[in-house]
Amino acid sequence: MQATLPGLNRTGATASAEGTQAMTDAVNELMPPVPIDTGAAEAERLQYIQDSEAVGSIPPPIGLDGKAKAALGRLKGGAPGLLMDKVGERIAFERTGVRLYEALLAKYGATAQRAGEVLPPAEKVHEVAHAQGMAVLAPVLGESPAETLQRLRSEELEHFRLLCTAMQELGGDPTAQTPCADVAGTASMGLMQVLTDPRTTLAQCLNAMLSAELTDNAGWELLIQLAEQNGQSELAGRFLGALAQEQEHLVTIRGWLATLLTEGAGTPAV
Amino acid sequence: MAINLLKDKGTPLQRQRMSWKDMVGKPISKLDDDAFTRVRIILMNGLELDSLRTKQVAIRCQDGTARPMLAELMRVEQHQATTINWLIGPDHSPIETTIGYEQTAIEVTASVAQLEPDPYLAQGYRYALLEDFDHLYRYSALLDRLEGKDANNITQGYTDIVPARATLFHHRAPEHDLLEPYGPDAELATKLHALTLTGGEYQTHDYYMNIGPVFADPLARQLYAEIASVESQHITHYGSMLNPNESPLEKLVLGEVCEVWNYAACLEQEGNPRVKALWEQFLDYELGHLQAALRLFEETERRDAAELLRDGRLPPFIQFSSQREFVRQVVESETQLRKRGTEFVDESQEGRSSLDYRKAVNAGGSPSETVAATWSWTPGTELMREPVGA
Repeated sequence: MQATLPGLNRTGATASAEGTQAMTDAVNELMPPVPIDTGAAEAERLQYIQDSEAVGSIPPPIGLDGKAKAALGRLKGGAPGLLMDKVGERIAFERTGVRLYEALLAKYGATAQRAGEVLPPAEKVHEVAHAQGMAVLAPVLGESPAETLQRLRSEELEHFRLLCTAMQELGGDPTAQTPCADVAGTASMGLMQVLTDPRTTLAQCLNAMLSAELTDNAGWELLIQLAEQNGQSELAGRFLGALAQEQEHLVTIRGWLATLLTEGAGTPAV
Repeated sequence: MAINLLKDKGTPLQRQRMSWKDMVGKPISKLDDDAFTRVRIILMNGLELDSLRTKQVAIRCQDGTARPMLAELMRVEQHQATTINWLIGPDHSPIETTIGYEQTAIEVTASVAQLEPDPYLAQGYRYALLEDFDHLYRYSALLDRLEGKDANNITQGYTDIVPARATLFHHRAPEHDLLEPYGPDAELATKLHALTLTGGEYQTHDYYMNIGPVFADPLARQLYAEIASVESQHITHYGSMLNPNESPLEKLVLGEVCEVWNYAACLEQEGNPRVKALWEQFLDYELGHLQAALRLFEETERRDAAELLRDGRLPPFIQFSSQREFVRQVVESETQLRKRGTEFVDESQEGRSSLDYRKAVNAGGSPSETVAATWSWTPGTELMREPVGA
């Protein structure tokens, strides 16, 4: 584990000034630049997009019991499939989120072993947020950063299970990979790579986690809206509880990242 | 439609041309296509690449008239492989594709083990089957604990996900990977089975070697290093079944027959109409390749095709369907088997050098044990059974 420090980064043009100048000379001599035109590539991509089939289909409702039938019957707006697709997406995201938090816990633990406590308690970063007028759930008082991270992981797991129950009530299969779940999974792959790379610092991991939590928050907001539109007010209410927790997650993660970036330059955590 | 290898001419070689657009078509749907469509794609990609590989090696050992013909055949095999492999959609994460690879290994090997007329070689298929079966369990654990995904989204209920002969016991000293090859009078089925599995395992190995270093997670990197090594053992295991006394041109002919046989099976059993049409097109291509290979064989070696192909009928096809019951029987009765030279023995009789080798490679721990410790497949992932609020 090492701090990110100035050193011999070879990637920029100035790191190889002579070679880069030789390359520029080669371009000017052998293939002088012309006006940029990526039209052919765009046209090709457009053709593929137009010819493509969907990623997949939304699983049909499974053998509905009375409760599920009633729930499905209340769905209005012609988009019950879309609601199930987006519930499926949140299921996948929360499930992956649990694993991302496990990776973050590992990174935090390793950092703490090397450098001692590097994160302030969550309640401290929330003071800053409250001072800025942000109204979010208060964190648990007296909680250590390790305990906070564990709780955040547990809450992602609770969200996952909440969503599985919701999916069943809608008549869906919580184990199915819906199209939006699949696409969200693809989008999340980069986050997993960052969190599990032994070389990335705690700050770099918090940065990746910030992307996850921002997406998570937006996802919950949209899901609540979709549930309301589909006449699922009770479900929307349950989702609101999860959103409140996700808002707290976001403030915590962002606050920790800000702390490390402003106070931790040159330390193993950054 | 019963193919006859001596009569069906297929598409002439000079008409076997594809454009990049032909090769880069629409991928299958990870969500909607049947798992066995993916199995067939993975298998046939492996066979095309093995056909290409074998011809590349042949060109290093051949002079004269064979070389231009081999070069021409290889170009088509390359483009066929591209077309087939590019059917796998980009929403398959590397581990999800890996799950597909292991399911392919399990179901195809299980089917072959039941078809194989030679009891010794049938044992060979059952032996490696149990190892690929365990790999599926280990990779499924990794998919769950690293990506938070359920391997059954890929396997679709066809294949059990439980441990078998634990991967840590797959590591054998090299001499114990070898099998006795089939003899010159082996049935055509025997030859095609061995070629099929050799090609399949080779591609599996190459795939793991390519994607292993792409993972950031050190446990994923270790697991792929470990299982890629076992897959390389499996290439030796199956490859050593092949008769080393077959001439290069005999091997060329058998390679083309193997492709014909497998494409015919794929065509017969494929449910996706677009992919089915591709299997039909490539079956005709391979019949064309076979014609070219037979001409070369007959002209160069002055031997009759019927010597290899008998009456031209194809052996019974691999069954692309769940072999669950057979696999369970093998898991219950043969997990304790090991190798001693080319023999299959009880674990107490295992070749001593394997124990030493295993101790060395597992000296820093066993990635396959670590990744899957306490893991059981659960619908919707392990997190479905973790107590909430724990």
